[in-house]
Amino acid sequence: MSDHHHDHDAPLPDTVLRVKALESLLTEKGLVDPAALDVLIDTYETRVGPRNGAKVVARAWVDDAYKKRLLEDATAAIAEFGFQGRQSEHMVVLENTAKVHNMVVCTLCSCYPWAVLGLPPVWYKSSPYRARAVIDPRGVLEEFGVALDEEVEIRVWDSTAEIRYLVLPQRPGGTEGMDEEALADLVTRDSMIGVGLAGSPGGV
Amino acid sequence: MKPLKAADVEHALQHSRGARVNEDVAAKFRVGDRVLTRNINPIGHTRLPRYARARHGTIACDYGVFIFPDTHAVGEGMKPQHLYSVRFTAQELWGADASARDSVYLDLWDDYLDPA
Repeated sequence: MSDHHHDHDAPLPDTVLRVKALESLLTEKGLVDPAALDVLIDTYETRVGPRNGAKVVARAWVDDAYKKRLLEDATAAIAEFGFQGRQSEHMVVLENTAKVHNMVVCTLCSCYPWAVLGLPPVWYKSSPYRARAVIDPRGVLEEFGVALDEEVEIRVWDSTAEIRYLVLPQRPGGTEGMDEEALADLVTRDSMIGVGLAGSPGGV
Repeated sequence: MKPLKAADVEHALQHSRGARVNEDVAAKFRVGDRVLTRNINPIGHTRLPRYARARHGTIACDYGVFIFPDTHAVGEGMKPQHLYSVRFTAQELWGADASARDSVYLDLWDDYLDPA
């Protein structure tokens, strides 16, 4: 999905207009406090985003006891960082290995683990991703630049309920001496949705 | 409904209740059980996607008791029941041309499932 000239992370113009119209209506009717809206937007623009999930992943890479807790009770293990709450009340972490690759979709709408990844990117909410992730995961992964070996088993997780899934990507090779903070920089948002791999040291 | 105030936003985001229900409801299935999803086509809200109706799957995990959205969404009560992760092979969903290795996991409630 990288060959298009337009930005897949930007909402469509008609969506922006519709949201503006809704916002003014709700504000005029006293149903929404614009100051609260500002706090909400600031929360997900500047404070809560995929860097949260990256910290969780990096900790799991360096700390086996933490990884064990994370795979057994993800909600509690993630809350150790203070990441919790809306759209992350019931977390499950899926571990990618050399044999199994997990990827996450919400075919019904746009369910996404806000506390660790922030708000979903536009492509995650788009009909093409939602329709194709379940029927052609290998094709979708290729478009994201991920070529998996035929031998690798792909598990697609359709978030149809209130369970929210976070993928624990494989730790890249050549990172043995790196500390947790440096490792967290290698963890991309896409790798935690399962449509990417964690970056290599010195790579992009 | 009182609008959310700026000062209450953080608390509201951090302390949402979630959808798990503390109620002792018997599970219809156990991990490893084979199930057949119902062929339901309600006009209203459901979380059973069309592509997974009338399909065979296997219970992969029992997540416990959760609010049932099909009734809750339309004001007909929480109808708490077990929610499972159910594994469907790609070939069961998409036919013989699909990968023999891959699978799709869906989160499904007792009311969507029959023993197979």
